[in-house]
Amino acid sequence: MPGTETGTRIRPLDELDIDAIVRIDERISGIYRPEIWEQRVGFYLRRDPGASQVAEAGGKVVGFMLGDLRAGEFGLEEPSGWIERFGIDPDQRGKDLGRQMFAAMVAHFQAGGARSVRTLVDRKDEGVAGFLRALGLSPSPLEALEMRLDAKPTESR
Amino acid sequence: MKVEAISLEKKYHGAVEHWQRHNFKDYETLLDQWEKYFPTDERFCLCAKLELGTSDTIAIGEHQGEKKRLEPEQLSEEEAAHLLAIIKAQASTEFGSIQQHAGTLERADDDQDRFWVLRVMAEELRHGYQMLHLLLSKDWSHVSRGVTGEQMVEEILSMQTGNHVLDAFNLDYDSFIDNITFAAIVDRVGKYQLTMQRICAYRPMADSMPPMLREEAFHLAAGVIPMRRWAQRAAQGDPFITMTAIQHAINKWVPRALEMFGDERGGETNVKFGFKDLKNREAQDQYIEEVQKMIRDINLRFIRARFPAYAPEQADAALAELERARGTHHGVRREDLLRTPDRRFFRRKGEPAFSMVGVDGEPFTDAEEYLRYLSRHLNEGYVASRDMRNYAEALRGVAAGTLAVKDAIMKMPKLKRVGGTCPCSKGVRWVMDGSAADQAASA
Repeated sequence: MPGTETGTRIRPLDELDIDAIVRIDERISGIYRPEIWEQRVGFYLRRDPGASQVAEAGGKVVGFMLGDLRAGEFGLEEPSGWIERFGIDPDQRGKDLGRQMFAAMVAHFQAGGARSVRTLVDRKDEGVAGFLRALGLSPSPLEALEMRLDAKPTESR
Repeated sequence: MKVEAISLEKKYHGAVEHWQRHNFKDYETLLDQWEKYFPTDERFCLCAKLELGTSDTIAIGEHQGEKKRLEPEQLSEEEAAHLLAIIKAQASTEFGSIQQHAGTLERADDDQDRFWVLRVMAEELRHGYQMLHLLLSKDWSHVSRGVTGEQMVEEILSMQTGNHVLDAFNLDYDSFIDNITFAAIVDRVGKYQLTMQRICAYRPMADSMPPMLREEAFHLAAGVIPMRRWAQRAAQGDPFITMTAIQHAINKWVPRALEMFGDERGGETNVKFGFKDLKNREAQDQYIEEVQKMIRDINLRFIRARFPAYAPEQADAALAELERARGTHHGVRREDLLRTPDRRFFRRKGEPAFSMVGVDGEPFTDAEEYLRYLSRHLNEGYVASRDMRNYAEALRGVAAGTLAVKDAIMKMPKLKRVGGTCPCSKGVRWVMDGSAADQAASA
């Protein structure tokens, strides 16, 4: 329901946040891609409503953090909270909004029985990696592996 | 959140499944295709769900601070009768929306949209099941006027489009645009009702709300996201979807959605009894604000699609200018965008019932002129409906001074069952309240 507060607040994501998320992403990436965010918001609202959070400042959405509670993937049977995407309007950074959204997500994950929070990060993206470390996330024994399928195959010797 | 899943007694569970086979034929298709459209999502469960660990203290009203009631008998007779009516109305809406969706579901031009609506339908079935659980798991006999739980279930499951409790559930869909618009507009009222009832002084009702609300979040997305995409297609010149068609559907559903809150002047009893935390007008005001935001965002989606080179600020400025000056912006007219109808537009219940006000708030004094106006602002299929004919007759009576507004509200004929109670039966027909057929139907 519409908020009337003028300060900041953290609340669960809803379908009317799509436009604000598209704008934040556009400010950060320079790319307008509403279809992607419509699909992702639809996904999280059906998958685990209440997990994903947005940050409001002055009644306007200025940050988002999307994720869900999962179990049974990659052989991880215990429920884990996964943080997939987040973004904060560049003008609103440094106000602890990311940490507050993270705390709200962690509370939701714990209520659902999670004992850990997981995410994947590009090590070269020091800004994001540093933010996640500051939240308390640390390297996991699980390792992300990948193989490029568009590269030239290695010649056998 | 810890949730307890409960099944109804076998014969009632079977009755719901029987109803589903007649009214929701694509249910099995949904379950068969679940992994394709909702991979790794929890499988659908036809069961009642109760949230555990919620507050046991009444939050509002004349019993504020007392322990929430666990049995209908712990409520006063007036409170229990009032709550029983709320639960039955809620049940009616859940089953009613499935019947409406089923009529035009196959006309979806996109498989994802169709399966999203199918999931919405399945979850509405679960919500109806939840309300039946509330009716059957406790003894309401002291306020049910001799109607047993079994009879209440039979009454609810025998309702058809036309004789549901609320008007919004008595209108047929005219196209798949109605499926989507209904989810965005009418399910939004559902969200408000469920949110208000989270604090209900009757704890089984309060505990039913959080699982329903979590599912309702997706229902709104299943409406808003396709509408956003349609706006993009319309802006890019797709001949098969226009903003006018979407606007006409909005004009059809918003008035009925506003009436779902109840008369603007009411709602005090719900607050006094501790069943809801907002009065009708307060909730309606917030709802309108939300719809306005939804429509503004869709309009911005339209403008960005029409002018791909625009930065967000340019799109904002273009929309603001169109709303203010009502002129044109590089070929886009104000009329090409969506707008929220005035809260008095096309109303037949509540404070503005039978007032003649246009979408933008413009007043009319002549009934025939107003009806012609409505015919241009609603879709053709709906204009040609029985519902519109009945409305027109009542409006003419009010305008001519031969019918008081309160009588016009009561006069609207309804489709009622006059045959058997099995949903297979087609024994329904239009009857007037108090007519011989009506008396036969209620006998």
